[in-house]
Amino acid sequence: MTRLLYSAFVALVGAAIVHITVLLLLPHFSDRDAWARLAEAADYYKPVRIDAAAGEVPIVRSLDPLFYASACRFDLADGPVHVQAPGNVPFWSVSIYNRGGQNVYAFTDRATDTGQLDVVALSAAQMIETRKQLPDAFRNSILVEAPVGLGIIVVRVFVPDQSWQPTATRFLRNVACSRS
Amino acid sequence: MLKTVLTIFFIICVAVLGGGASVWYMLNSKESVGAVTIGRWTAFPEIGTPDADPYAKARIAREGVLALGRAEGLTFTAQRDAAGDPLRRECSYTIEGPVPPARFWTVYAADADDAIIESRKLRPSALHSYQLLRRPDNSVTIAAGADPSPGNWLAVSGTGRMSFVLTFYDTPIASSTGVSDIELPEIINAGCDD
Repeated sequence: MTRLLYSAFVALVGAAIVHITVLLLLPHFSDRDAWARLAEAADYYKPVRIDAAAGEVPIVRSLDPLFYASACRFDLADGPVHVQAPGNVPFWSVSIYNRGGQNVYAFTDRATDTGQLDVVALSAAQMIETRKQLPDAFRNSILVEAPVGLGIIVVRVFVPDQSWQPTATRFLRNVACSRS
Repeated sequence: MLKTVLTIFFIICVAVLGGGASVWYMLNSKESVGAVTIGRWTAFPEIGTPDADPYAKARIAREGVLALGRAEGLTFTAQRDAAGDPLRRECSYTIEGPVPPARFWTVYAADADDAIIESRKLRPSALHSYQLLRRPDNSVTIAAGADPSPGNWLAVSGTGRMSFVLTFYDTPIASSTGVSDIELPEIINAGCDD
């Protein structure tokens, strides 16, 4: 009897260890996370629509149906990443995610004075270099120091009704995601 | 000898299967640590941020979610009505009450897999606050169901379980600490087609 209880106890401790190990390792080995899905769809610095508007299965789940969104992957080791989109839409927001799909920085169009989307994500070292001599291309940009190496930038656009769909589609088509 | 081998085999089986199954169960359950519950509405202010708990991190890695940032907005979901019964697509519901300050907000119905339920009518499948009719005290009443309704109507179709997803954009409630102090609308069952 004691032996049975003892082995049941050991089994439970073992289950707890397996539970914690699987839980902590899962984010590192998932092949279904946002990064993996985007990598299947497009290369680095290539914006790709992630919503379901085209009638296809959305690349990223749980998006608001009244939103269009576009994402591009970047690697700060290649230099700062510059995202721009001309045009006016009722609402846009930008999120920067790390490799694991965690949101490290986000802001909306109200964070700018002109309402124009122009953002540069850089690492801490690149920020110091850029601050020394601000390049002309970054003059109107929001500079974001992102604590990431590999990352994802997502641009979301609110589509209040059908009449806004062409405008929002054009806005996202014109999203430029470039390394500089 | 055989007894020892069997015991060790039993221990390893229980540990691997039990550990794996418990992780799977935890990741599939809708409730989680870090949830903020207001009435029947649940939000995860920290999901998708580096501050999230390990369960939330594993969940976003497994489901491929890119969660809204705190500056963008906050999403609440409701699985049950005010009486505590699960929400069903065969039923009509009235969503009414005050809403917290936000630049705008959206509401839609989602199926058991968190995908949007199409209205299958010449109606949008989601409503947003710019197009809603409001009462004099700025509260809203939304009729959600398959049958057309005057005022604000959120068209739903099909059968089975559903949930309501309410997202506030550009809102102070997401960034302040007072997420639990806000008031959200109630979901009242207004009859079912059986």
